Amino acid sequence: MNFLKRALLSVKVKKGRSLLLCAIFTVILIFILAGLTIQSASLKAADNAKQSLGATATLSANRENALSQNQESDSSTDSDSSDSSSGRPDAGSFSLTPVSISTATKISKLDNVSSYSILSSTSAGAGDDIEPISSADTTDSSTTTDSSADSNAQGMPGGGSSKQFGAGNAQGDFSISGVLSSALASDFSDETAKLTSGEAITKEDEGTNNVLIEKSLAEANDLKVGDTFTISNPTDEDTTYKMTVKGIYKTTSSSDSLGMNFNFLNPSNTLYTSYTFANTLKGDDYTDTADSVTYTLSDPEKLDAFVKAAKKLINTDTFSLETNDQTYQQMIEPISNVASFAKNIVLLVTGAGIIILSLIVMITIRERRYEIGVLLSIGESRLKVVFQFFVELFVIMLVSLVIAGFSGRIVGNVVGQQLLDQQTSATTSSSSNTQQAGGQQGGGQRGGQRGGFGNIGASSATSAKQIKKLDITLSAQEIGTLGAIGLGICFISVLLSSIGILRLQPKKILTT
Amino acid sequence: MLEAKNIGYWYDKKDSYLYKDVNLNFEKGKSYAILGSSGSGKTTFLSLVAGLDKPKEGEILFNDSQINKIGLTNYRKNCVSIVFQAYNLLPYMTAIQNVTTAMDITQSERSNRKEYALASLANVGIDSSLASKPVSKLSGGQQQRVAIVRAMCCEHDLIVADEPTGNLDEQTSKDIITLFQKIAHEQNKCVIMVTHEKEVAEACDYIYELKNKEFQLV
Repeated sequence: MNFLKRALLSVKVKKGRSLLLCAIFTVILIFILAGLTIQSASLKAADNAKQSLGATATLSANRENALSQNQESDSSTDSDSSDSSSGRPDAGSFSLTPVSISTATKISKLDNVSSYSILSSTSAGAGDDIEPISSADTTDSSTTTDSSADSNAQGMPGGGSSKQFGAGNAQGDFSISGVLSSALASDFSDETAKLTSGEAITKEDEGTNNVLIEKSLAEANDLKVGDTFTISNPTDEDTTYKMTVKGIYKTTSSSDSLGMNFNFLNPSNTLYTSYTFANTLKGDDYTDTADSVTYTLSDPEKLDAFVKAAKKLINTDTFSLETNDQTYQQMIEPISNVASFAKNIVLLVTGAGIIILSLIVMITIRERRYEIGVLLSIGESRLKVVFQFFVELFVIMLVSLVIAGFSGRIVGNVVGQQLLDQQTSATTSSSSNTQQAGGQQGGGQRGGQRGGFGNIGASSATSAKQIKKLDITLSAQEIGTLGAIGLGICFISVLLSSIGILRLQPKKILTT
Repeated sequence: MLEAKNIGYWYDKKDSYLYKDVNLNFEKGKSYAILGSSGSGKTTFLSLVAGLDKPKEGEILFNDSQINKIGLTNYRKNCVSIVFQAYNLLPYMTAIQNVTTAMDITQSERSNRKEYALASLANVGIDSSLASKPVSKLSGGQQQRVAIVRAMCCEHDLIVADEPTGNLDEQTSKDIITLFQKIAHEQNKCVIMVTHEKEVAEACDYIYELKNKEFQLV
């Protein structure tokens, strides 16, 4: 144990050298700790994101397949036809097979399904006792009547019953979202829509004409819970339905430029009904069907297994089952980049630390040749001399570890947040381009869940929120990892520097 | 106790021997001086018997055991103490720490090492206040006395000293030589001293002169 005493004495007496080594070691450890804490916080944030996002899979018609089959049938027809318009796909022949409720129910009974929501979308025209909200109404509620009148005067859609609708255009005045439970509808689960009065649409409302209407629409038409109004069938204006207001909700979604032109795209004109009512509007062919069914799993880790099992119950040529993995990936992309960068910081600083400390220890050992020679001449073993240097560096490392422990979290917070801010702005700009292109295709979970209208006409806050803040905390595990890395740096540095010591002969040391 | 048998040594080429077929015996309780001019090879001989280097030819026996077989590190640790011309003390330590460090390394059997070291230093005129100072703050004579005490306290039977008075004034040199004589005679140690000073050599019991690549008993 003599070498321990010598090491401690050497550290204590040679204050200048010890302070220099301590300062260098502290800087190295602070950077490593910053990297470790950022990495750990990133992984934790990604894990939390996965938990908060949950796992959902949406069953809907396979649009891609339907489109390609449509194109194939068009081209085979074209070869037999000399029609001048043969180059265009026949829009009338393109149809999507709705999901049958019985299949959806079978899938809902698979393991790990905690809940499922049904969506059947369509549109409806306004009856005589209700006026839809035009875009001008939404932007300035104080001029509701005037702007509505102006729109009518100008013949723009949105003012009163649309002429286009009457002309056989099945767009209508209202967007009907037929659901199994309005609480599970994406707008409500994402909290862009909130029930302000009355009750939500539930399974109990199957077969009824109960409806949730938007607050602006209710105020504009002086409707309250329990009141009734009429809407008309999108394909047959003369067929009307008497709706009972079961609840009133408020939405934070707003119309985009496209929604300015069509009433049914205005979020205030969205009516939530039971899916059975939406199917009634769509016609007899749609009885006991849905546009899409979204399953929420109790364990996100079981998503792949669920999809595999569910695909056995459906015809994958006709239906597709899409997971929210894309949303998750979009959410964690910046954090993954930061985690990867943090890992590189740890590796780089550890490598640089080994090199820097090895060089410094080598230089100090060269200066201590005389001391080594004296110790060897007295009979000390080379190994114990190496241990002495290791203990000296280890003691310094312990002091540095304490300093780094106090300051590493602060550095980690500053560096981590800067990195995340950079990554967030970079991925936001790239993903917004992707969303613009992808949104119009109506694909993915969101598009599927919203059925035929997708997200067109409304800019909603429901897209995946990127993680913009890191909760960097210092745990015992990170201090332990840092200590282990520091110990490794000490060991490798002394080992590399000791090659010279092991080759030294005491006589040569003392005579040179 | 120590026997050099047919020792031969050269630096670069075998045909340029420093010395050849050296046969010398050293006994306990006696002091020996190896006298020679500068560059004659007397320090090299001392490093061979101290286990700091190996002879090119022949063998060195300590209590009838080859020191190569004992292992040079073990030999230095357990059998021999060395006093250098340049003292070779650990500069960041005090006098007392230098002595106790050597006792620790050589695993001295004394339980009260510090007290024993302080008493030994006091015997050579290094009181406790001096003993507590870093050795770099002591004079050359004081440092040499600390180096001698360090060698003594290890309680090895063989003490070798390389020009121990080379850096000291006349009076201090006499004191140091007296000290070595006491160690040899009173503590029954074998002291081998290398010197180029005749006065120092004459104070020893035996003198070997290294002249013309040969050791001659004077």
